[in-house]
Amino acid sequence: MRRISFDTQPIGAAVVGTGRWTLSEATPSRVTIEAGAEVELIIENQPAKLQLTLERDARLRVVHVITEAGVHSSLGVNLRENAECRVAQVITAATESGVEVSLAGSGASFELGGVFLLSGDQRCGVRVDVRHDVSDCRSRTLYKGVASGSARGEFSGIVYVAPDAQRTDSEQLSRNITMADAHIATRPQLEIYADDVRCSHGATVGQLDDQAVLYMRQRGLSLEMAKRLQIEGFVSDVVLHAPIAECCETLVEILHEKLQSL
Amino acid sequence: MLKVENLHASVGDKEILRGINLEVKAGEVHAIMGPNGSGKSTLASVLAGNEKFTVTAGSVEYMGEDLMTLSIEERSRKGLFLGFQYPVEIPGVTMANFMKLAVNEHRKAKGLAPLTAAEYLRLMREKSAIVELDSKLTARSVNEGFSGGEKKKNEIFQMAMLDPKLAILDETDSGLDIDALRIVATGVTRLKREDNATVVITHYQRLLDYIVPDYVHVLYKGRIIYTGDKSLALKLEKEGYDWLINDYKEE
Repeated sequence: MRRISFDTQPIGAAVVGTGRWTLSEATPSRVTIEAGAEVELIIENQPAKLQLTLERDARLRVVHVITEAGVHSSLGVNLRENAECRVAQVITAATESGVEVSLAGSGASFELGGVFLLSGDQRCGVRVDVRHDVSDCRSRTLYKGVASGSARGEFSGIVYVAPDAQRTDSEQLSRNITMADAHIATRPQLEIYADDVRCSHGATVGQLDDQAVLYMRQRGLSLEMAKRLQIEGFVSDVVLHAPIAECCETLVEILHEKLQSL
Repeated sequence: MLKVENLHASVGDKEILRGINLEVKAGEVHAIMGPNGSGKSTLASVLAGNEKFTVTAGSVEYMGEDLMTLSIEERSRKGLFLGFQYPVEIPGVTMANFMKLAVNEHRKAKGLAPLTAAEYLRLMREKSAIVELDSKLTARSVNEGFSGGEKKKNEIFQMAMLDPKLAILDETDSGLDIDALRIVATGVTRLKREDNATVVITHYQRLLDYIVPDYVHVLYKGRIIYTGDKSLALKLEKEGYDWLINDYKEE
């Protein structure tokens, strides 16, 4: 079921100008976003095996939603000079998702904000690998995972900084909450070979804040409501900063619905 | 309104409340003072229903009902409010959204329909004025980045929004400067009516200059050892607790 419905067109091999696109069976496996183009791409429950190249000054904003089980994706993004790519990923079903980014031109910038919310016995694996091959590039990876029931979630990601990639600015954060018998494994990795860089990374796996739940219950919220509200708060920044503003409301709804089943 | 009889409560193996007797009637303000570690916060937590504590003996009657059979949220919905000593932060949850859910849960318990968006906005504006809270702050995450004073003002704001029958304020004045103290105290005083009651747990006399108590109780090692009126608070401020504790020990 499509939740995000705009006037999108299936993306072709080379995209110029501006526009909002989606995938189709006819979408080639390699797509070039031409120099200076500004493109929005919405992928909703579509299997995707796609290599995207952004030429210089190109801008790509992606909203990637998986709410149906068994839809897998593998996205590659190659950025040339001053190109910019921002991605929001929202996962509420079993899936394997991989994103491989190569910052190949000076001044390029990549940002990914993702959430996975799992319940029951759902399993999902998320990978976000970022290569800083040249100097003066910027990357931000923020992934939030929540799992309850007996679900299993996995985040892994390597940020690689090449020896000549000076003045790299990179942040990678994997923050997770587990409930009941769920389990989340997080494996962020940093491989840095340049010496003039600013790289930070962090990973946490924790439980719900008991004190916050107590506080909310004392104001009259039931235990379930308090837990859901806390989780909603935990993941909200990812969806509120989604790169395609018109999608925010639907993304919030998707998360809100999924929370009822947690 | 509240009748506490011989209340004993422990956390794990440690008994903290060792036979509390307290009666609070509608329209009254009670102050509970006492040295650190006497059990003041524990009393507040036990009355609120914090599951960390076990009631081992005694009874609590609230509005004619056995309070101990009610969950934390049920007590809240029946008009029991706890102003926390250390209000927590809840990242990503706005004050406005949080209070809207809380207010509507309270209304649901009374069989009332939820407020419309416009009604709720009006309520928030009205109540934030009572504590001189900048209404812009309601768009921020609950208590996130708030100073100590702002957190305490926020507690009174929530009290104003929920209009409780019994408000238990745990060290509401700790960490406040003179201005914040005045605002918090004025807020509490403005909310006082004939049909509600307030229990103020405090360390310092100065709050009681603004929130004038009908009764002042001294809690020491889990028991209320003395009850007086507001002049007792002044005496404690001047002379400390020693004279009282020695008196008590001699009995």
